[in-house]
Amino acid sequence: MQIQEHIRLKGVGDGVTVMVDPSCSQELLEDELSHVFKKLQPMKANVEVKIDAQGDHTALTRKLEIFLKDKFKIDIVPRPNKPSFSENIARRQDIHDSWHQYQSDVLMLAGRVRSGQKVTARQHLIIMGDVNPGAEVIAGGDILVMGSLCGVAMAGQPNDEDALILAIDFRPTQVQIGGRVAAGMPATKAAAEFACVENNVIVVDDYLKAKPFKRLAWPQVR
Amino acid sequence: MDGRIIVITSGKGGVGKTTSTASIGAALAMKGKRVVVVDMDIGLRNLDVVMGLENRIVFNIVDAVNGKCKLKQAAIKDRRVENLFLIPASQSDNKNAVTPEGMVRFSQKLKTSFDYVLMDCPAGIERGFENSVAAADEAIVICTPEVSSVRDADRVIGLLYSRSITPKLVVNRIIPEMVVKGDMLSHEDIVDVLSIDLVGLVQMDDQVLVSSNTGIPLVLQKESKAGEAFRRIAARINGQDNLPIEVPRPKGNFWKNISSRLGINRGDHAERIHTQV
Repeated sequence: MQIQEHIRLKGVGDGVTVMVDPSCSQELLEDELSHVFKKLQPMKANVEVKIDAQGDHTALTRKLEIFLKDKFKIDIVPRPNKPSFSENIARRQDIHDSWHQYQSDVLMLAGRVRSGQKVTARQHLIIMGDVNPGAEVIAGGDILVMGSLCGVAMAGQPNDEDALILAIDFRPTQVQIGGRVAAGMPATKAAAEFACVENNVIVVDDYLKAKPFKRLAWPQVR
Repeated sequence: MDGRIIVITSGKGGVGKTTSTASIGAALAMKGKRVVVVDMDIGLRNLDVVMGLENRIVFNIVDAVNGKCKLKQAAIKDRRVENLFLIPASQSDNKNAVTPEGMVRFSQKLKTSFDYVLMDCPAGIERGFENSVAAADEAIVICTPEVSSVRDADRVIGLLYSRSITPKLVVNRIIPEMVVKGDMLSHEDIVDVLSIDLVGLVQMDDQVLVSSNTGIPLVLQKESKAGEAFRRIAARINGQDNLPIEVPRPKGNFWKNISSRLGINRGDHAERIHTQV
């Protein structure tokens, strides 16, 4: 008999798994399925059926599922959410692309920003050097100072309160994030600290202890 | 002759620009160079008094720049120090009496007849500063160990860099006893913030006031520590680059000096002051 060659039934717990041969045409499989399920009519009411096409043939299994549902009113087990191999590759590609394709919006400067000088960046700002007292650094996004920050830093201008200000030696005279202002901060010892907005207030914390980005699942563009 | 034009500036007032100009000028002249010191503080002239040449002024810088007199008429010769000349400022005009373009033209003339042209810049960063800096090849920034002075010097250094002049630093009025105790910024702290080449350290000295009031050049007083420091600065400007910079030390207490030289005797105060800069 042909039937045994193309579809096989397998009892799994309360249900039945139907293994189909994906190399056959849809019509042939439908024909054989109806042949088998006609015989199983008495038990179909409370049986859960799962179709397995051995590999990656989602289109074919879906069509067969719909066919069985329509013809025999059989409950089809929902497919597990586990992504298939090819989906996995696609997603990994997406993460890579998220920074491979990204056009940088960062203004990166080396040197010392002196008193009376003003650096303005449309997006993020990185300064490899010091920001002296009396200097101003302003950015639309984050501000990172790879040195001591002793001047005024304004991040997230005009209204991005998710922005943060980080410096290896964090001793600013004033910090602004979005519309929030923090002035007259107590003098602290040299430490890598950052400022961000929490509950509408600017909070300063030790960067290495607090690790503000440790919860992110994977690196993402900021 | 192709002289060097050096502007002596600070931003903040009262840090010792005029004293430094007079002293460095005299010290360079004593080395046999033809030196002219130019008082750029038009309206508030001081350099003539400090140099004791007040009663010999006939023409001034405004006359010289605007062509009302010859360079030789405006330059007053110092009788005590050979080869030292002063071009005084005008007391009655204001800073707009001279333009930066006029200064550039005038400085070309000065360059041809002197080895060194020292410009005594007024305090501030307005017209007087522009006039002084317009023709300068080099700059010396004077700074005292005060937070406000460091801030202003920083601003001035930025302005000088933007005119592609690389300034050098003199730290004036150091009180070694206070530095050791940690009550005063050390020159290391200042250099840390300003990050330019140091050309000399001058300690607080009562002789400065005496010489300013009497008009006797500081560098002629052998026992003055500040005078000695200015002589060394002049030597360094004059090409002796390898002359070591002497760090002012408090009197006495040999062991304390050793420990501060090794950097172990700095109290918590130093930390506190440092955070304010």
